[in-house]
Parts: sequence; C-alpha cells; structure tokens
Amino acid sequence: MATNTQLPGHPAQRSIGRAILLTLPIVVWSLLMFGHTSGHSDRLLQIAGAITGVFMVILFFMMMRTGTTYRWRRWFFVSLGLLFPIGFIHNVMAMRGSMGIPVEEMIAGRTPFCFMPIPLLILPAAFTRTLVFPGSIVPAGGMSGSGIAAMVGLWLAITLVIGKGWCSYACFFGGIEEGMAAVPKRPRIRKIDPRWRYLPWAVLLAMVLLSLALFEPAYCIWLCPFKAVSEYIAARNTVGLVQNGIFVLLFAGLVVALPLLTKKRTQCSFFCPFGAFQSIFNKASIFEVKIDPSRCKPCVLCQNACPNMSLSKESIARGEALMSCMKCGACVDACPRQAVVWHIKGTPVSWKPERARLMFLYSAWALAIMFGGSIIAQGIATILHFLA
Amino acid sequence: MNLRAKLGYTAAGLTVLAAMLTPFLLYGLFAKGFVALGFHVDEMYSGGPKLRTVEKGAYSIAIHRAVVPHLLQTEKPFVQLDWTPVSALPAHVSDTVDVDGDGRPDIRVSFDVPADPKAQLRVNVEPIDPLNPRYQSMRDVGKDGFSRLIVRVNNSILVRVPLAHPS
Repeated sequence: MATNTQLPGHPAQRSIGRAILLTLPIVVWSLLMFGHTSGHSDRLLQIAGAITGVFMVILFFMMMRTGTTYRWRRWFFVSLGLLFPIGFIHNVMAMRGSMGIPVEEMIAGRTPFCFMPIPLLILPAAFTRTLVFPGSIVPAGGMSGSGIAAMVGLWLAITLVIGKGWCSYACFFGGIEEGMAAVPKRPRIRKIDPRWRYLPWAVLLAMVLLSLALFEPAYCIWLCPFKAVSEYIAARNTVGLVQNGIFVLLFAGLVVALPLLTKKRTQCSFFCPFGAFQSIFNKASIFEVKIDPSRCKPCVLCQNACPNMSLSKESIARGEALMSCMKCGACVDACPRQAVVWHIKGTPVSWKPERARLMFLYSAWALAIMFGGSIIAQGIATILHFLA
Repeated sequence: MNLRAKLGYTAAGLTVLAAMLTPFLLYGLFAKGFVALGFHVDEMYSGGPKLRTVEKGAYSIAIHRAVVPHLLQTEKPFVQLDWTPVSALPAHVSDTVDVDGDGRPDIRVSFDVPADPKAQLRVNVEPIDPLNPRYQSMRDVGKDGFSRLIVRVNNSILVRVPLAHPS
C-alpha cells in the first residue's frame, strides 16, 4: 500500500512503488518526446535521446520519492546550461566556421533567435510592424530551422503554463550560473542590498526604450553575457571589439564570479531583462509558492535558500513570494516546518500542497523534457560525436 | 471546497492539459498566429522589397526599394542591388545601373568575382553624373556597415549603396 511518511522537519517521502507509479506518466512522455530519435539515422543522436530520457525520468522519480524538488531540478538545469553551449557552438561552427555572426548571415536572415530579445521586439513591432532582429520569421526559417515565430510560439506556450518557471525549467542559460552557485558550500558575500532586485527592471526599461530608439536588439548587441558562450556579432571594428569585451566581462562577473561568491543566480537576479519581463507573467500562472503563516517561525531559511532573492521578510510576513519567484522549489525544500508550500491560486494555503506540487511538476517537467531535454540530447550527441 | 478552490483546480487541470498539448498543438498554433500578425524583419537587415529586375544577359540585377533608417539608427539610407546568379557573373563586373528607373543610368558598380566563395569582396561605386548628389561613391569598400557593403548571400552578390537623401 502506498504511504506518505512525513518526518518532522523533513519533506514527505514516498514508497518506491508509489514513486514509480507517479513517475509512469513522465516515462510515457519521455518515450513520446525521445521516441522519434530511435528512427533517426544518426545513431549517436539515438543514444543521446535515450540517455536524456532516462536521465529526466530518474530525476522525476527522485522528486517523487524524496518529496524534494530543487536539487533534482538543479541536475537537469545545470546539465541544460552546460550542454546547450556545446551543442550550439558545435552547430554554428559546423555551419559557418565561427561563433561570430557575419553580416552575410544577418542579411540572409539566418541569425538564430533565442528568447532574450522577445521583450525588445514588442515596441518596434507595435509601432512599425517591424521586427528588429536579423532572423527569419517563419517557424522553419533561421539557421537551423528555428525562426522567430517558432521561439515565440514555444515561449508563449511554456509561459502560459509555468509563468516565470521558464527561468527554472526552460532557460538554457541560467543553468551555468546555477552550477557556479552550487560549487561553494557557503557564500563569501552574505549581505546583498535588496534594492539590487530592482536592477533587472531598470535594465529591461532601458533596453526596451533603446531598442525602439536605435531599432536594434540593444541587449543582444551590447549587454548579453551569454554571447560569450553562444555567438556574437563578428567584430568588424573597434566598436565590435568593445561589444565582445563587454560580453566576456559580464559573463565572467555575473555568471561565474558573483554566483561563486554569493551562491545566488546573480545574472538572473540583478541583471536579466528577460527575467524581469517574465516576472509579469507570474501573475497569470495558476501555480505559485505561498507561506503558511500558522506554521512559519520565521527563521528566514527560505529567504537564504532562494537563488534570486524572491523572498523578503516583508513578503514572508505577507505569506507569499515576490513576483520574481522562479518556482525552483529551493525555499519549499529548505523550510523545516513545511510552511513554504506549492499552491494553486484560489485554493486555501497549505490545503493539499503536495497535490499542487504534483500538478505543477507534471506541467513543468513535461515542458522541460520537451524543450530542455532536446537541447540536452543535442549536447550529449555532440560530445559522443567528439568521442567517436 | 468552495467555488474559488474549484475554479483553481479546474484552471490547474487545464494548465496540465496545455502543457501536454504544447508540443502537438499549442506551440505550432502560437507560431502560426505570430506569423499571421504580418510583421516583417527590419529592412536594415533584409534590404527592403525588390522593385524591379534588370536583365544583363546571363545574369540579372535586382533593384530594391531605398531603405530609410529609423529614428536614431546610425546607418545611412541605402539602396540594395543584387547580382544573381553568381555562377553566371564574369570575373570582373562593371555595370551601369538605372537605380531610380528614369531610363538613365545613375551609377557604375565595379567588383571582382573571386572563384573562392569565401574570399572577401571589394566594390567601387561611382555616380555617372558627378553632379547628382543622390548616390554616394564608394572606393574599395568591403563590409563597412549595413548601408555600405558588398557581400555574397546564397547565390547573389549584394551591393548596398548609401544615399545622400532617400527620395
């Protein structure tokens, strides 16, 4: 008989049988998502698909078995962050021989479109029906058959389901800094002024207005740290060299050094305009994290555990996370009194929180397998190609 | 369970359903919806729509509509000319082009066509009438900017000639 054993100070643990039963839908989903690779002519891609499918199923099983979310999700997310550049850089090197985007590729509309410029496109598109990005609009366009419409469609679908959960289950950049933040046992920098939380909004506002004024995706051209591990505009002059220097410095500072010092996702928390933009959609998502005041001490363990400072003493007192919450589950796992819970809007707080967690995780993990899983499989296939 | 809770669970159930439908239905639906909005890529990148094509024997020259920069865009106005197909071009091209379609040639465009498709291209552009201020001359220009360049794209050689004023 399936049982829930809830130890004081520990999250609910399940029996192996019940955990397997709860994992079965994800097994079927993985087969659906990676089954097509079995008919693929590339044998290494078949193997990579199988490895990824098993990996994702095991992680979900562990979530079900242990009742914890964060550390298992982190395995997926860090793998995604590390394997995306491997697959992507290999792809661009194979197609054009350089990480730099030559002007010919921009004119031909073959610049791959990631999700970061989406907020930057809105105002120019609204005023002039023009997309300020040198890519292809049609879904099958772009460098590797992924045009702007494909990414926008995917982003919209995933955002409707998990809101800012995008930043924990879909973003193929955030895993790098989450991995860096996981390295030290304790943070060297503990006190961070909470006002830094407003900086992504300032960056978002500045970049949106600049993109409208300059008619170019200003963040991508000037400030995106992840250009250092994906692609950048091929430097044709001093300005290009300065831009590339900024990418490397921001990557080294925000994605490597500061996460190591603070144990926080500093780029996401203090800089990413897309993250700020995505926070708006948290309001539309049915899933959220709540704090049950009747159980909360408050010990602020949840606040310390949060990787992007989405909890403050004030928000804890109000019984909710801030709108920047990425739904990573770190705070829920950190709470020794199960006061921090997954929640479905409209339902009473702490009323069957595990049901809310399950419904959220089925949604988020299905999308993680579909989107992130395919990127992980591509990265593994690239490594296998090198090894073979 | 009160009505709000029932609505909450219903919405959560629909959200799980939406997640399941994403790869099979929603993603494609949203992508098609986005295409249907009728946006176009900034002409600074795409070069603007083709106005007409001039046949030059084995090859042709496509003349695009002049592109005017927006607000604070740093590039100059330009007109794009495409020589297609590259395989039919002689080793050295020197063509006069009637850009504005008034029946009189406006500029002479000269460039070499190297056999190596990855070789750097250089172009010279001279206004036929030196007193015509509309077309700016270019001497030994490669890829100086979006409004001033010569590049090979697919099976064409594209030349962008900066304009002193767009109309």
